[in-house]
Amino acid sequence: MTKRKAPRAILIAVLGFAVTVGIATLLLRREYRAPIAAPAAAHEATPREQGLADQAAEQEKRDREKPYVEADYRPFPKVGSRVAIWVVAELHLLFAAFVLAVPLFALIIEFIGYRNKDPRYDRLAHEFTKLLSVSFSLTGTFGAFLTFMLIILYPKFTSYLVSVFSLTFLPYVLLFFAEAFFLYTYYYGWGKFSPRVHLLLGLGLNLVGTAIMLIANAWLTFMTSPAGISEKGALISTWDAVANFTWMPINVHRIIANVAFGGSVAAAYAAYKFLGAQSDEERAHYDWMGYIGNFVAICAFLPLPFAGYWLAKEIYAYSQTMGLQMMGGAFSWLFIIQAVLIGNLFLAANYYLWLGMGRIEGAQQFQKYIKYLLILIAVCFAVWATPRSIISTVAEVRAMGGSAHPALGFLGVMSAKNTAVNILILTTYLSFLLYRRTGKTAVVRWAKAGNLAQLAIFLVAASIVLFLGVYGYFVEARVRIAFSVPQVLSVLLAMVSVTVIDVFMFRNARSSGEARWGQIPPISQYVLIFIAVSFTWLMGLMGYVRSGLRQHWHVYGVMRDTSVDAFTPTLGFATRVVSVTVLIFFVLIGFVFWLASLGGKKDWAERSPGAPTGGEPS
Amino acid sequence: MKVPVVVRIAGLTIAATGFYTYVGQLVPQKEVHPPVEIAISKDTSPDEMRQIGRQIMEGKGLCFTCHTVGKKGPLRFPDLEGIGARAGDRVPGLSDVEYLAQSMYEPENFIVPGFNPGMPVINKPPVGLTDDEILAVIAYLQSLGGTTTVTMETRVPGHTESTASEESAGGAPSE
Repeated sequence: MTKRKAPRAILIAVLGFAVTVGIATLLLRREYRAPIAAPAAAHEATPREQGLADQAAEQEKRDREKPYVEADYRPFPKVGSRVAIWVVAELHLLFAAFVLAVPLFALIIEFIGYRNKDPRYDRLAHEFTKLLSVSFSLTGTFGAFLTFMLIILYPKFTSYLVSVFSLTFLPYVLLFFAEAFFLYTYYYGWGKFSPRVHLLLGLGLNLVGTAIMLIANAWLTFMTSPAGISEKGALISTWDAVANFTWMPINVHRIIANVAFGGSVAAAYAAYKFLGAQSDEERAHYDWMGYIGNFVAICAFLPLPFAGYWLAKEIYAYSQTMGLQMMGGAFSWLFIIQAVLIGNLFLAANYYLWLGMGRIEGAQQFQKYIKYLLILIAVCFAVWATPRSIISTVAEVRAMGGSAHPALGFLGVMSAKNTAVNILILTTYLSFLLYRRTGKTAVVRWAKAGNLAQLAIFLVAASIVLFLGVYGYFVEARVRIAFSVPQVLSVLLAMVSVTVIDVFMFRNARSSGEARWGQIPPISQYVLIFIAVSFTWLMGLMGYVRSGLRQHWHVYGVMRDTSVDAFTPTLGFATRVVSVTVLIFFVLIGFVFWLASLGGKKDWAERSPGAPTGGEPS
Repeated sequence: MKVPVVVRIAGLTIAATGFYTYVGQLVPQKEVHPPVEIAISKDTSPDEMRQIGRQIMEGKGLCFTCHTVGKKGPLRFPDLEGIGARAGDRVPGLSDVEYLAQSMYEPENFIVPGFNPGMPVINKPPVGLTDDEILAVIAYLQSLGGTTTVTMETRVPGHTESTASEESAGGAPSE
């Protein structure tokens, strides 16, 4: 459009608008109105006027007499109240998990730097905390959003929770203030205090953050396994309500899972920076940062299934019905989806380690083992993802003699799955051990004996896991259930003892090749991002099962859900909601990454020569 | 044309999320609705009681989450086939009806040898069957290898005086 035509178009648009308003006004005036020309005294009320007045008086009377009725539920447009609460709560949890996890490993990294007098670790810890301040604000905002949504959409249930946990709310709010104090002092005080004072601030931040999590966990675990109340739901003991059956298992599970999740998201940030890096130095730094983030994530990920066992055991102990709904009823197929996710996570984590071997000279001697590790992981993954019963037609069910496949059906039971996941953990640990040894040669005299001892430990642990897995098919269920404990313990013991031997064996080891940070294929960085997405999705899915287990109860066995959403949706629907939540989270965390990156950019005035700086005194 | 890093990362995120959503659509899709209340009146016949009892065990009672009928092998909970025939011999001094009632009102009093405790108190939340519903379940259980003798007039240990319509399944603070 030319410059001359533009004002004409605006004029026509304004005139068009004025004509439309004029026509609308004229049409509205055609409605009947009482004559206004006659003097008020001579004016007689028309029947319509009288009718309207009566109607208004009646409405006013009704309004005045209206009793107060407490609403049980209020609707939410389009998606419904449950989905609205679900998405907001999950986003709050994801940001909270990140904000709780990053200070934990940032403090450890800072402490390592302080002990070893290595400033690289200090810088790395500082870089991790750059992601915190905006994430903290988003956590708080989503927390407030969730609270308002609960009050608006589920007023009666919220009121009940408040009545049970009234004593916990004030400490919660005060702890939030303390969290803000520690977090901002820790971040802005970096390099401004003595290292010890700064480390203490980090410790305070972690303690306060954990205390906040413990309180919030009490509320949500009470909904699953209520305690400390009478049969009618009245509060007897706040402490008993807090320390309910699933509280401590959830606390432990969440702390570990938060670290795994936080590490993976921090690694994704490093990957994003690596892929956009302009120099080798920058690439080297972010490669290292990604490695550390992923290392933190995998270290936390390995014991996570054990914490999961404990949580499941407590759920069974609280209510067999709920436990069986979880593993054998409405939610049993969800664990097949979980198996796909965890299998992908193990595969991706191992692949990243194998790619990482390439950045160290002397990796060839270990790379030949990768194909065997891959086969082992693939087999375990397949076993874990095999369902007990398969989706089949009536004819197929008849041919198989039931819904379970005559051969593959045996892999769908817990004996097989426990065995698969334990071997998977051992294999991933072995991958890490090989990566750790790349480019190093042990010089201690007992190196050969140490290697043999490690091999023996691995074989014994794997044999115990396999033996109990197979033996489980020949014993009663109550005996079989108990087998998971020695399986888990043998794997944990193997990992701890092999690590201890390795640390001593490779002390002062001869270096046959330094790590060339930054020299890793770019695909490795996409693997890190994939791991972060998978972790986030897994958290969303497991959050759903934890909450969904209550089915048509707000508070299990105490307060029924009588809303229109009091049914358990299909897994397909649940996964769609989880996916939408994950995508929203990544849009927001992308914003956090971008903001964190701004700190490294030059000021606008510096980037634009000749631009007014505005700061010069006149 | 070089695709910007941000676009690639976004593509990977959407693809990974899409893949997991797809896996979620592959598994069986079932909505689980809250249990439907079945009307039981005092003049319900034993034949109707058996049918209603079976429906309650499949639905509100959640019985078949744990128990089976006619399954062999290493089970986690007792199989119910033939329970009507052996219920009277389980606990000395208890008739079949009394034993079946006790196993629902006070399940911890007797644990079938070889099994762990785990049966919830059936007239309490979260299951919360009414006395009349429990009578109907007993009628069905008696028919598994035995004869139904229970009627709607039968009173069993654990019975309260109230009827189904007067009781509510939990929900104390909300209802």
